[in-house]
Amino acid sequence: MKGVKKMNIVGIAACTSGIAHTYIAKEKLIKAGVALGHNISIETQGTIGIEDKLTKEKIAAADVVIIAADIKVNGMDRFINKKIVEVPTSIVIKSPKGLINKIQTELGLT
Amino acid sequence: MNNIKIKNIFNENLIDLNMNAINKKEAIEVLTEHLYHEGYIINKDIFIKDVYFRENEGQTGLGNHVAIPHGKSDAVKITSIAFGRTQNDLVWESPDNKPVHVVILFAVRNVDKTTVHLKLLSQVAMALADDDTLDKLLVTNSKVEIIELLSQEMNKS
Repeated sequence: MKGVKKMNIVGIAACTSGIAHTYIAKEKLIKAGVALGHNISIETQGTIGIEDKLTKEKIAAADVVIIAADIKVNGMDRFINKKIVEVPTSIVIKSPKGLINKIQTELGLT
Repeated sequence: MNNIKIKNIFNENLIDLNMNAINKKEAIEVLTEHLYHEGYIINKDIFIKDVYFRENEGQTGLGNHVAIPHGKSDAVKITSIAFGRTQNDLVWESPDNKPVHVVILFAVRNVDKTTVHLKLLSQVAMALADDDTLDKLLVTNSKVEIIELLSQEMNKS
């Protein structure tokens, strides 16, 4: 896309019961991020534990950290000095592309 | 084939394409009855109470006329799902405020010996992140296709 910068995005998805919304939010973010031309990695913190754990390298390279969660997530200390956007999973499920575009605009990464 | 995996948690007897439910309560009751009949839950009242506990924590509508209520409960014998569809407009808390026609009820054991079934449920959830999948679930009359749509993520792992 013309004039739109590619962002490196990392994030965490987590919901109250850790069964369904966590995984829907993860998939929606990844589909939207890829469709918009960004690099994106999302860690899930659900009932079955942590999956797709973010690597140090990906966190270091990230322009923004998206926390899509309805509960407190673990490991926030990994994101010191990073730009962090926290939203409930419902926002991601409703409008994942809108969220990513808004973040990009607000952070001046366009 | 992915059908082998999904058969652990789901089968054609747990698909009801003509639910008579006129509201959320009746839809949850109909699907709970199917799970009970198939032997996946051992007590309907306790299970429904636990489903409503989760309903009160936040909306389970996904938008696009689909909802995924779920109950984590001592009444669940085997972690599983039931699929129901109705022509009726069910009022359901959803991000797009549209009425619900497809209800996918997740029944989850309070304590599972392994994470195999939970992993399968998470893969069903991931399949529901795709808007085309939701559209197909609203119209197809093939139970085989519904099982394939819900298990598509299992092919990738």
